[in-house]
Amino acid sequence: MSDQTANLEQVMPEAKTAFGDQRGIGILVPLAILVGWELCGQFGLLPRYIVAPSKIIATWWEMLSSGELIGHVGSSMFRQSLGLLFGASCGTIIGVLAGMFGPIGRFYEPLVSLIYPVPKVAILPLIFAWFGLGDLSKIVVMTISIFFPTYIAAYHGAKSVNKIHLWTAQNVGAGKARLIRQVVIPSALPDIFNGLRIGLALSFVLMVTTELVVSTKGLGYVIARAEENLRFDRMYAAILTIAILGFCADRLLLKIREYFLVGQLMSKDRGHG
Amino acid sequence: MVDASIPMSAARASFLDVWLARVWRLYPIFVMLAVWEAIAHSGLISPLLLPTIEKVAQEFWQMVVSGDLVFHGSITLQRALIGFASAIVAGIIIGTALARVKIISRILEPVFIFGYPIPKISLYPIFIFIFGFGDMSKIVLVFLECLYPITIQSMYGMRNAERVLVWAAQNAGSSNARLFWRVLVPSAAPAIFAGIRIALPISMIVTIITELIGESRGLGYVVAFASASFEPARAMAAFVAIAAIGFCFDRSLNWLRQKVIYWQADAPSLT
Repeated sequence: MSDQTANLEQVMPEAKTAFGDQRGIGILVPLAILVGWELCGQFGLLPRYIVAPSKIIATWWEMLSSGELIGHVGSSMFRQSLGLLFGASCGTIIGVLAGMFGPIGRFYEPLVSLIYPVPKVAILPLIFAWFGLGDLSKIVVMTISIFFPTYIAAYHGAKSVNKIHLWTAQNVGAGKARLIRQVVIPSALPDIFNGLRIGLALSFVLMVTTELVVSTKGLGYVIARAEENLRFDRMYAAILTIAILGFCADRLLLKIREYFLVGQLMSKDRGHG
Repeated sequence: MVDASIPMSAARASFLDVWLARVWRLYPIFVMLAVWEAIAHSGLISPLLLPTIEKVAQEFWQMVVSGDLVFHGSITLQRALIGFASAIVAGIIIGTALARVKIISRILEPVFIFGYPIPKISLYPIFIFIFGFGDMSKIVLVFLECLYPITIQSMYGMRNAERVLVWAAQNAGSSNARLFWRVLVPSAAPAIFAGIRIALPISMIVTIITELIGESRGLGYVVAFASASFEPARAMAAFVAIAAIGFCFDRSLNWLRQKVIYWQADAPSLT
């Protein structure tokens, strides 16, 4: 019997073994790498394009305290959040409507299935020609790209509403607006949040990309400029900032999701993390 | 009222009717193309910004004839596919190891869980320094961006195998290897495919992005160069080629999925 359980443990380690001891070893290895990295940096063993962590942190702090970083973060996040806002709200609203109403769904279905797998970012140079090199064209690209995953997620969510819930609501005399607000949206929310999470990750990728291609301000600009001037420490500082922002935004979205979906989340459906 | 009213008579309709119905379903695409054509011909927008469809088609044909399309297309395809394919292999192996070997999961899981939301594209300038301007830096970036979704989905797939099935197999006396191949792999297959499906468009996006930023070959470069030299028709022709590649990738993956995971009829939505 005990042999069997041991065997099972070996075959299928539990997804959620006590997180405490997992964290211990999980941090140990990155820490060791970090220390090794730093030591190599101190002894001058690193190639020029790899900078020791202490130097990165020092540069990062310097950029932060001089207020330079805040300006770049502000202008990056401004574009990123507007692109996400427009793209995700269009995608979600149209997606829910398309899932609710047949004709709307049938109008968007072929367009979305045609354009969804296309890497929309390839149209970036043309968008620059249309809307100029400033903020607008970057926001447009993000809006277009984020529309599709959020649309598909919302459409799928609205489509898979339990029919019995719909009929019940209609039976007790709920109107269309009330039906959407109180039945369709709540039951589509898990899917909508999945779409938002993909859209969020995409918005960060596009934020960096569009700025690497053309920009005069923002974190991608810092990276591109630092690369030209061979200021690798500044480059890593900008990358570190992007990583922190991306990570925090994702965690924030997961917290919001948890708040809204309380009771709808199964233990294994908690997203990737 | 939620359900689309699919004409039930289609089942008995003739071959021609079925095809007509299929074409009719695509009407929004024709509407969009007509709107584009109308605007382009009306002269409201300069042809330097919005070329007519004939012009794009003509340019496309010229690229086919001159061999440019094949040349740049094959380079783009090669980069995307090498990065993507190696990410599939590595992702499934790492994901499986994360799910089944405790020590690896403790060491590597934080790297994948915490690194997931970070845009790896910001590392591209560093990759250029490490791997040079050529194919290698692009392939590595594609690999890295695709690795994360595939690894994480494989990990969850391998972990979420139904216990009852595992018990049943063990009860029937199957060995660990047999259990792995006959129970765990099939039950993880849908999740693995979901990861691959997330990674597929990413591979194309990253390839194109890297070609937009710094390259002298590849379809992304053609788009960037043509629009910088005010040849929008050529840029759009290249975009159409990129779109076609992306579309065909997606369709072939769907087809493959239905062949491999034949027991699950419908692809789940994203994620």
